[in-house]
Amino acid sequence: MFRIALKGILGRKARLVLTSLAVIIGTAFLAGTSIFSATLNSTFDNLFTDVFKSVDAYVRSSQVIEADFGAEERQRIPVSLVDVVAGVPGVKATAADIQAFARIIGKDGTPVGSDGAGPPTFGGIYEKSFVSLWTIESGKAPVGPNEVVLDKASAETGKLVVGDKVKVVAQAGSREFTLVGIASYGDVRSPGGATFALFDLPTASEFLVKPGFIDAINIAGDGSVSDVALAQRVNDAVLKSLSEDKNTTAKIETLTGAQITKETQDQIGSALSFFGILLQTFSFIALGVGCFVIYNVFSISAAQRLRENALLRAIGASKKQITRAMLIEAIVVGIFGSAVGLVGGIGLSRGLTALLNAVGIDLPSGGLVIPTNAIVQTLVIGTMVTIASAWLPARRAGKVSPLEAMRSTAIEIIETGRKRIYWGLGFIAAGFAVVSAVIAGASNSYLGIGILGVFIGTIVLGPVMARPVALFLGRPAARFRGVTGTMARQNSARNPKRTARTASPVLIGVALVVAVTALAASIKGQINEVFTQQLKGNFVVNTNNRGFGGLSPSLALDIAQLPEVQQASGIGTITGKIDGKGQFLTSISPDTVAAVWDFGLINSQYSALTKDTIFVAEKKALNKNIVLGDKISVVLSDASVRELTVAGLYKQDQFGNYLVSKEIIQGTTVPSFDIGVYIRTAPGVNESTARAALQVAVDKYGQGDLLNKQEYIDKNSGNVNQLLGLIYGLLFLSIIISIIGIIITLLLSVFERQRELGLLRAVGMTQSQVRTTVRWESIITSLFGAVMGILLGIGLGWVIVFALKDQGLTTFSLPIGSTIVIMLLSFVVGVLAAVYPAWRATKVDILSALNTN
Amino acid sequence: MRKFGLTVGMSSNTLTVAASAKNAYKIYGEGDEAVYALRDVSVDFYTGQFTAIMGPSGSGKSTLMHCIAGLDELSKGSAIIDDVDLSTMKDKALTELRREKIGFIFQSFNLVPTLTADENIRLPLMLGNSKGNEEWIQTVINTVHLQDRLTHRPSELSGGQQQRVAVARALASEPRIIFADEPTGNLDSTTGAEILSFMRKAVDDLGQTIVMVTHDPVAAAYADRIIFLADGAIVHEMLEPTAERVLDQMKTFGK
Repeated sequence: MFRIALKGILGRKARLVLTSLAVIIGTAFLAGTSIFSATLNSTFDNLFTDVFKSVDAYVRSSQVIEADFGAEERQRIPVSLVDVVAGVPGVKATAADIQAFARIIGKDGTPVGSDGAGPPTFGGIYEKSFVSLWTIESGKAPVGPNEVVLDKASAETGKLVVGDKVKVVAQAGSREFTLVGIASYGDVRSPGGATFALFDLPTASEFLVKPGFIDAINIAGDGSVSDVALAQRVNDAVLKSLSEDKNTTAKIETLTGAQITKETQDQIGSALSFFGILLQTFSFIALGVGCFVIYNVFSISAAQRLRENALLRAIGASKKQITRAMLIEAIVVGIFGSAVGLVGGIGLSRGLTALLNAVGIDLPSGGLVIPTNAIVQTLVIGTMVTIASAWLPARRAGKVSPLEAMRSTAIEIIETGRKRIYWGLGFIAAGFAVVSAVIAGASNSYLGIGILGVFIGTIVLGPVMARPVALFLGRPAARFRGVTGTMARQNSARNPKRTARTASPVLIGVALVVAVTALAASIKGQINEVFTQQLKGNFVVNTNNRGFGGLSPSLALDIAQLPEVQQASGIGTITGKIDGKGQFLTSISPDTVAAVWDFGLINSQYSALTKDTIFVAEKKALNKNIVLGDKISVVLSDASVRELTVAGLYKQDQFGNYLVSKEIIQGTTVPSFDIGVYIRTAPGVNESTARAALQVAVDKYGQGDLLNKQEYIDKNSGNVNQLLGLIYGLLFLSIIISIIGIIITLLLSVFERQRELGLLRAVGMTQSQVRTTVRWESIITSLFGAVMGILLGIGLGWVIVFALKDQGLTTFSLPIGSTIVIMLLSFVVGVLAAVYPAWRATKVDILSALNTN
Repeated sequence: MRKFGLTVGMSSNTLTVAASAKNAYKIYGEGDEAVYALRDVSVDFYTGQFTAIMGPSGSGKSTLMHCIAGLDELSKGSAIIDDVDLSTMKDKALTELRREKIGFIFQSFNLVPTLTADENIRLPLMLGNSKGNEEWIQTVINTVHLQDRLTHRPSELSGGQQQRVAVARALASEPRIIFADEPTGNLDSTTGAEILSFMRKAVDDLGQTIVMVTHDPVAAAYADRIIFLADGAIVHEMLEPTAERVLDQMKTFGK
C-alpha cells in the first residue's frame, strides 16, 4: 500500500505541488516569524554583551514603579555617590548614567524619532571613561552647558553635522546646544531606533533630571576581585555613605555586570516579544486558515480518486489501507511543504528585517539565526497540521463502496446532511448564549469563547448556505454574461461543500476585519462625542507620548503669557504606586484647567485639589468603595509616600482614574511631562491670528502639534486607525491565502471537469468564453465568502460593542464604507485567483478530454 | 472528384457537397516510426444524406471524423466544410464554425451536467449569443419527444433521454452537417434503435446531413451510404446497406 501511495503522489505532481502550496504558505509565516524573532533577540543580546563588556558592577536605586505597558520609573540617586564608588578599593573606573526623556529637533525644525508610538527618545551623559557605553566617532566629548553629542542615527536623520546648533527639548524646557560630536553605541548607529542626546554630567543632571541627581553608575573593576565581590564592596560603601546622610531617601542596589547585561537583554527581549507575539499570532491565523485550504485540497483529491479507490477496494484493499495511503500522502506533502515553507520563512525574515530598516528602525548587524526549535517546530507543526487536515478526507476515502468503481460517471456528492444543520445551529446558539451571558454581566473574557462558537457554527453551516447564496450572488452574472454566466453560477453552486470550504479563508478574514472596523467606528464616534463635550478651549498642543516624556511643562506657562490667550493649562501624567500597583496619575493645574477642560466634577471644585488631596473617577470609586474623605497612599518614584485625601469625584475618566495637582511633585526628582496643553484664546482674537501666535510659541520648543478643536478631535479618533492598521495586515494575509485557496480549488475543478470543458469547446465555446466561465465562478465563490464574512462580522461587531457598553461605547456604527470596499476587494480577489486556472482551462485538449472514459 | 458520389435514389447533379476531405493524411511521429492514421483519404459527404463510416478499431474512422469536424488537424491535405478549408482557420474561427455549422453527438458525456435539457439543447446558440429559429427548435424538440423533459437536468434523465437531448442539440442550430461518434455505443439495442430512427427522421423529414462513425452493422444499416476504412484508407463504399450486407463486408476485412 505504501508503494501505491507513493506512486499515486509521484503520478500527480501537479496535485502534490498544489497541496503543498497550502502547507508552504502556512509554515513559511510560522518559520519566518520565529527565525526573525530569534535573529532579532540574538543581535540585541550580542549588542548588549558588547556594550556592557567592561561594566563589572552597576549601582542604581532599588525603588521602582512599574506602570502599565512596560513603563518603569526608577528613583534617581545623588551624584555624590559617584565619588563614593570611585573610592572603593578594586574600582578602576566609573561612569555616571542618565536615561531621561529628551527630544532632538532636526535642522528642518521637526523632532527626530517617533512621537510616543515607537522607540524612546533619550537624554543621557557622555563621559570619556573606560566604562562608557558610547564611543565618539567624530568630533569631541561634550563639555559645559552648551555642548551636546548625538547618536549617529539621529544626527543623520536630523541632517546635523558637528558645529551645528541643535535644539533639544527636555522636562526643563527647550534649549539650544552646539553639536560637538557624534557617537555610536557598540557597532550600531543607535540601539533599536532610540535617539540619544548626550551631555556632560552637570549639564545632563541639571537639564534632564534635577541638579545633583543621576540614574545609575557604571563601574569597572581592576580585576583584583570577582564581580560579585566588587558589587558587594560597592554596595556596602554606598549604603554606609547614605546612612551618614540624614536627608536622603535614596535606596540603592548594586548589580554585577552580568546581571545588568542580562536584565537589559531581557528588557529589550520582552519589548520585542510583543512584536514577536503579534507576528506569531498572524502566522497562526495564516496556518489556521491554511488548514481549510489543505482540508479542501484533500477532500477534492479524495473525490477525484473515488473510482480509483473503489477499484482498489473491489480488488481487496481494506478501508484502513485506503485511508493509510491517503495519510501517507499527507505526511509526504506535510514534510515537503514544511521544508519548503522553512526556506520561504528564511526569506520572509530577511524581508522583515529589510522592512524594519526601511522604516528607520536600525537593527544591529548580525548573522541570521535559525534556531533548532524553529526548524523542528515548523516541520512538526506543518506536518501535524497537514495530517490533521487530511484526516477526515482520508477517513471518508476509506469508506468508499467498491460499487462506485462500476458507476459510469463520478458523482459529486452534493447533499448536505441534516446533521450538519443541527451542529451548525448548535454551535451558533451556544456561541450566542455565551455572548448573551457576557452582555448580561458575565466577564468579558468569555466573549472570545462565544465568538469562536459563532465562527465554528457559521463554518459548519457554510455548505448548507453555499448553494442558495451562490445562486443568488450569481444571478447578475447569469443575466449579463449569458450562458457563460449561467454556467459559472451553476458551477459555483454544484458542490456547495467545496465552495464553502474554498470561501472559508475569505469568510474568516472578512469577518475579523468587519467586526474590528465596526468596533473602531463606534470608538471613533464615542471619542468625537466625548471630546466635543469636554474640551472647553479652542486650541490644543498635542503629543502622543504617554508615560515616558512628553511636552515640557513650561510650554503651558509660556503660552498662557501670550496676549492672544485667555487661558492655557497643561495636563500631564505622573507615575505613582497605589495599593502596590503602578499607575499613571493625571496631573493638572487646578487654577487654570476649568477654562479649557471639563472633567465632569461631581459636587466639587478644582480649588479643592491641593498638594494633599486627590480626585478619583466615579466608576473607580464605586468599584473600590472609595468615599470622600478617605485617604489614598501614593508612592512616587522618588520613594516619597503621600497620604492624599479624596476631595472629589469626577465622571470623565478618559485621562485616567486619579487626578492630582502638579503641586505635589514640585521640587522633587519625579519627572512630569504634559501630554497636552489646552488653550482658550482671548475674546475677539480671530483664529488665524491666534494660530500664528501659538505656532511661534510651539516652534520655540520644536515639539508638539498645534491643533484647533476639530483637528484635535479628528486626531484622537484617528488614533483608532492604528488598530485598523493591524487589522489591514490581517486582511492582506487572508487575501493572499484566499487567493491561493481559490486558485488551488479552481485548478482541481478544471482538472475534474476536463470532459465537460472538452465538450463545451467542441460544441462551440471559445477560449475567451471558457475564461469568462472560470473567472465568474471564482468571483462568485469569493463574493460568497465576503458576504458571509460581512454578515458575521457585523453581527460580531454589534455584539462586541454591546458587550463593551460599560466601557462607554453607546452607539453601534455600521461600517458601510469598508463593507463596500471589501465587496470590491473580494471581486478583485476572484478575478486575480481565476487568471491561471482560466488559462489552464483553455488549454484542455478537446479530443483527449472527449476520449477519456 | 466525386469518386464515390454515385446516385442514391437521386440524380448526381442534384447532390451538393456539405463537407469533404482531399488527399488527407494524419501522421503521428516521424521517420521510421511514423504511424499513418490516415493515408491519402479523399471523400465527399453530401447534403441531405446519412453517411456511416465503418472500420475495425484503429482504422482511422474517428480520426477522419475529428479532422473534418475541426476538432483535430490534418498533417497534410485539406478538410473542407461549406467550401472553407479548415487548415487556414485559427482556434476562434474554428470554434465559431463548430458552433454555427456543425452539430455533434458523442458516445457519452454529451451534456453539461449543470444545465437543464432545454439549456443543453440551446447551448451552441447561447454560446453564439443567438436566439436561433424558435419554430425549428420546437420542431426538433417534438421530433425527439422531449417536450416534458425540458426542465430536467442530465442526472435526472435516462441514458436514452440524454442521447435524445444530444441529438436535439446537434440539430438546434440548423447546422450544415452533424457528426455522430458511436452515438448508440453506450445504449441497449432498443434505446439505440430509437435514437437511430430519430437521426433517420432528421435526415428524411428535416433534410439534415449526418455523418456517423460506428462499428455496429445494425446501426450502420440506418445510413444511406457507408464508407469502409482500413489502415487509414478507404477500402469500400456501400449504398443502401442492410445489416446482413454490412456483416458480410466486414468479414472480408478479417482475411
